[in-house]
Amino acid sequence: MTQNAFFDDSWLKLQRDYWDGLAKMGQQAMGLDSGRAQGGSGASAPWLAAMEQWRKALAPAASDPARDFMQRLMDQGQAYFGLAEQFTKGLGDTGLGQGADSTRAWDWLNQTIEQMQKGFSGIGADQDESLRRMLGFWEMPLDNWQRMMSSLSPMMPGDMLRNMPNGMMRGPMQEGLEQMLSAPGLGYSREEQAQYQDLMRAGIDYQRAFQDYSGFFNQLGVKALHRLRDELQQKSETGETIDSARSLYDTWVGCCEAVYADEVITPDYSRVHGRLINAQMALKQRLSVMVDESLGAMNMPTRGELRTLQDRLQETRRENKRLRQELDQIQRRLATLPAGAPASSGNRTSTSGSSTGAKTTAATTTDSTTTGAAKKTSARKKTAAKSSTKSSEG
Amino acid sequence: MFPIDIRPDKLGEEMLDYSRKLGQGMQNLLDAGHIDSGVSPKDAVYREDKLVLYRYQRPAEVAQQAVPLLVVYALVNRPYMTDIQEDRSTIKGLLATGQDVYLIDWGYPDQADRSLTLDDYINGYIDRCVDHICHTHGVDKVNILGICQGGSFSLMYSALHPDKVRNLVTMVTPVDFKTPDNLLSNWVQNVDVDLAVDTMGNIPGELLNWSFLSLKPFSLTGQKYVNMVDMLDKPEKAKNFLRMEQWIFDSPDQAGETFRQFIKDFYQQNAFINGTARVGERPVDLKQIRCPVLNIYALQDHLVPPDASKALNGLTGSEDYTELAFPGGHIGIYVSGKAQKEVTPAIGEWLNER
Repeated sequence: MTQNAFFDDSWLKLQRDYWDGLAKMGQQAMGLDSGRAQGGSGASAPWLAAMEQWRKALAPAASDPARDFMQRLMDQGQAYFGLAEQFTKGLGDTGLGQGADSTRAWDWLNQTIEQMQKGFSGIGADQDESLRRMLGFWEMPLDNWQRMMSSLSPMMPGDMLRNMPNGMMRGPMQEGLEQMLSAPGLGYSREEQAQYQDLMRAGIDYQRAFQDYSGFFNQLGVKALHRLRDELQQKSETGETIDSARSLYDTWVGCCEAVYADEVITPDYSRVHGRLINAQMALKQRLSVMVDESLGAMNMPTRGELRTLQDRLQETRRENKRLRQELDQIQRRLATLPAGAPASSGNRTSTSGSSTGAKTTAATTTDSTTTGAAKKTSARKKTAAKSSTKSSEG
Repeated sequence: MFPIDIRPDKLGEEMLDYSRKLGQGMQNLLDAGHIDSGVSPKDAVYREDKLVLYRYQRPAEVAQQAVPLLVVYALVNRPYMTDIQEDRSTIKGLLATGQDVYLIDWGYPDQADRSLTLDDYINGYIDRCVDHICHTHGVDKVNILGICQGGSFSLMYSALHPDKVRNLVTMVTPVDFKTPDNLLSNWVQNVDVDLAVDTMGNIPGELLNWSFLSLKPFSLTGQKYVNMVDMLDKPEKAKNFLRMEQWIFDSPDQAGETFRQFIKDFYQQNAFINGTARVGERPVDLKQIRCPVLNIYALQDHLVPPDASKALNGLTGSEDYTELAFPGGHIGIYVSGKAQKEVTPAIGEWLNER
């Protein structure tokens, strides 16, 4: 450590005062008196409380896109300052800081990275809040997948299998379950039993695929930490300094992105990714089959029947359009024949466009909002699709 | 020296500054109101199923070219990207060069469109739009500008209907789908596309969005929001950002059979490069494209890497092939200030010379 007393004591005191001050500000901002000061994360992250207050105060008045956007800003603000907190407070708490002894600072960094590695590996169960936030950064790709899956499968939340312990579906338990699932169905409901067995097999397969996918990202998190250490080492050698939270955040994002890019271009990732999607689709397909069975039993139209009708209708429309296009060409040729030749009965008008049953709009009003009106939210999309079908399908 | 040196007082200032900008930005977001896009006046001139063909109104002061230009956008995302705001509009730039611009809006396919095939899109919808334009203008051929997947469609169309295409412009168009740096291609190699389409019918836009955001998950779903806080205190910039955000997440579902064919034939089997592309019953021979070709690609394109587009060189039968490299990304080529100055005028000039 440096011999300068300021950095031994005063700088450390300054840091503690600062965090205490911010904590107090946060409590006041949240309407809490100091006597009710929260422990743990609440006290150490006043900025988090302040951001949350912003969100609660403003979100109800915001439009949907603005509210989503605000939430994303909040989430990233938390990641951004959480990272700075992890490093700044960590260095401060251990008596290190500006101009600190380089060896001890590096030791601290290595210890922190080791701690984070445990976090990625799921070993460290009781990390502090800021560390959890930093690790959470690497959950973004998984979170994106789960959000997307939830939006596609209202009956099956994207995270439904997430908390199942890794390895649960492997080993003796897996063998036992597979044995149970391979037992032949008996009696009158034999087919139904078999369907449920298929569904369970598909669920187990998806869970394994998801755990493999999740494991792949945990591995990347560890690699990103090593990349961060290398990056810091490089900066140290060139005399560069990270002196702001933004700069630290950008460096961390750069490391994560670089490691991610290196790994997801590999055949290994292609297999993990493909397996995840295939397993998800197989599970959905099993569910669809069972839903169709139930609908059929209730004498209601099934998805399968609708698809057959759609295919037949499309084939008919395709043929119809082709014939009308040919007819149109013939009519145009006839129209060019000399007088005395058979008259053409179907010259196209300026708005006839295709002769395929398609409709045209003559003189639609100036339309700077048409595209805007067609904006998609899932609900509006369905409405638009319905009205479009009514108005323009031939 | 240890390279992290964030003084607590400076960190405090940074937090306060972030909070101040965030607060101001929140207010601007609340005040943003309706987010419009697709700014240039246009008329719907032809409709078929969910497709709408638009014709943009020409500026009064500009003399118009005799050969109209048809813009064929991708099925993925929405075409208003080309006209997203007043000062960021490829369409506006093209109009300024005298082009008579038409654009196909594919709409939002639903399950009733599930069995639309590439043949339906290319030999059906596109061809009938071209016929409509030719008839309206009394011409035999049109110019075509194909964008991204719409560029691949335009290549197929031009190869199958060479007598109807005067000049072809392709922008950020994938031709070689298996370049080593193509992440999307790598990811899709082990996906059972038949299972996905058989299960889902149409492929949900959300699934595609997830794939696109996964190309750079930390930057695209994280860092950009932090960076935006710096701009949110300016109302117009906040609105512009929301406009772009809306476009990014405005992803139509993909007609299942077309998706099946496009992914299997092109992403998995690299049909242009291997010469195995077919549309309906007809093989696609790119050598049939003998018209002038302008191929524009973006040097920092993470969706369609430059090499994926540059592979077009030598594949067509054109003796007038030009490439234009833009120093930007897949989206920047339409919306960046640089693109407005460089890309659109270059397209107009290239077309006007032919």
